[in-house]
Amino acid sequence: MSSTTNWYKLNRSLHRDVGYFCVGLILIFSVSGIAVNHKDDWNPNYRVDVTHIDAAGTQWHEENDSELILQVLSHVEANVEVKASYWSAKDEFKVFLKNGNNLSVNLATSSITYERIEARHIFQAFNRLHLNETKESWVIFSDIFAGLLIFLALSGLFMVKGKYSPLGVKSLWIGLGILLPAGYIFL
Amino acid sequence: MKIWIEKAKTIFCAVLLFSGFAFNVSAGTLHFGGEVNAGNITKISTIMNDPDDYLATPVTIEGTIVGVCEKRGCWMSLASDQRFQNLRIKVNDGDMVFPMTAKGRKAIATGELKKIELTLERTKTVMAHRAQKAGDDFDPSSVTEPMAIYQLNPSAVDILE
Repeated sequence: MSSTTNWYKLNRSLHRDVGYFCVGLILIFSVSGIAVNHKDDWNPNYRVDVTHIDAAGTQWHEENDSELILQVLSHVEANVEVKASYWSAKDEFKVFLKNGNNLSVNLATSSITYERIEARHIFQAFNRLHLNETKESWVIFSDIFAGLLIFLALSGLFMVKGKYSPLGVKSLWIGLGILLPAGYIFL
Repeated sequence: MKIWIEKAKTIFCAVLLFSGFAFNVSAGTLHFGGEVNAGNITKISTIMNDPDDYLATPVTIEGTIVGVCEKRGCWMSLASDQRFQNLRIKVNDGDMVFPMTAKGRKAIATGELKKIELTLERTKTVMAHRAQKAGDDFDPSSVTEPMAIYQLNPSAVDILE
């Protein structure tokens, strides 16, 4: 067995094993990347459903917050616990519920906005890792992961010999992979 | 085939393991940054009466969370002790991520008050928004001077249970 063959074997084995190790993180970062790329179109961390309720004809108890809260709740759901309330303007009263949902009533128009918030747990977790919200030890781990990705990219160049090696016609793919991002930077 | 199923299971478990580290536990007090100076709280209304007096030294404020940045969690508005008034605390994206479900909970924040000078055009936009919220009429030509807004850049935040 020649030393060249051994080197290729070692490179392929390392590429394979490091690749296996990186699968989970690559999936996490890719899914999260798509999610946060489109954050202007959708909320990657929460599902927020907004319902508008017409409460026309209600005589609001503006002078008594407790009664006002009961009035607002009577238009939405029973048996919910209230976390806090807040007058954001003279005609706008907000009620925050313990289940994470919120209500906002416009006393001038007697319209209630009911905001139901549901966390997207998996996306939240992925995004926290991707955007490095956990900090500290994750920085070290992410650096190692980045190093492994560099290794995967470079070792990938030495996986195949001959006609399909990066020195042959397949170099077009490598060139394209460099030219496309370069195009975005310089054009 | 069996080997591939085993491998797929291992990968799936690894993904779950990694994501498990990242779950945000919302029960109990949530701490962000360093230690809040809970023993030296200044009322938001006191600060807003003379905000320029509080620009030089760190201040600690307390209030109910009445607004949170929906997509990045990069700001929160804390209700003042005075009606209709609130103060926004703002961080760089990712420095602290405030959960949207924190609305209605109390928060204590220590940090530096920052003054942001608006252009006249931006001032008109802000004033128009405030008037609309308050249900008042607004004439843009009535605004002739640019204004400043204030926000707290926190070094520490506690969101209380």
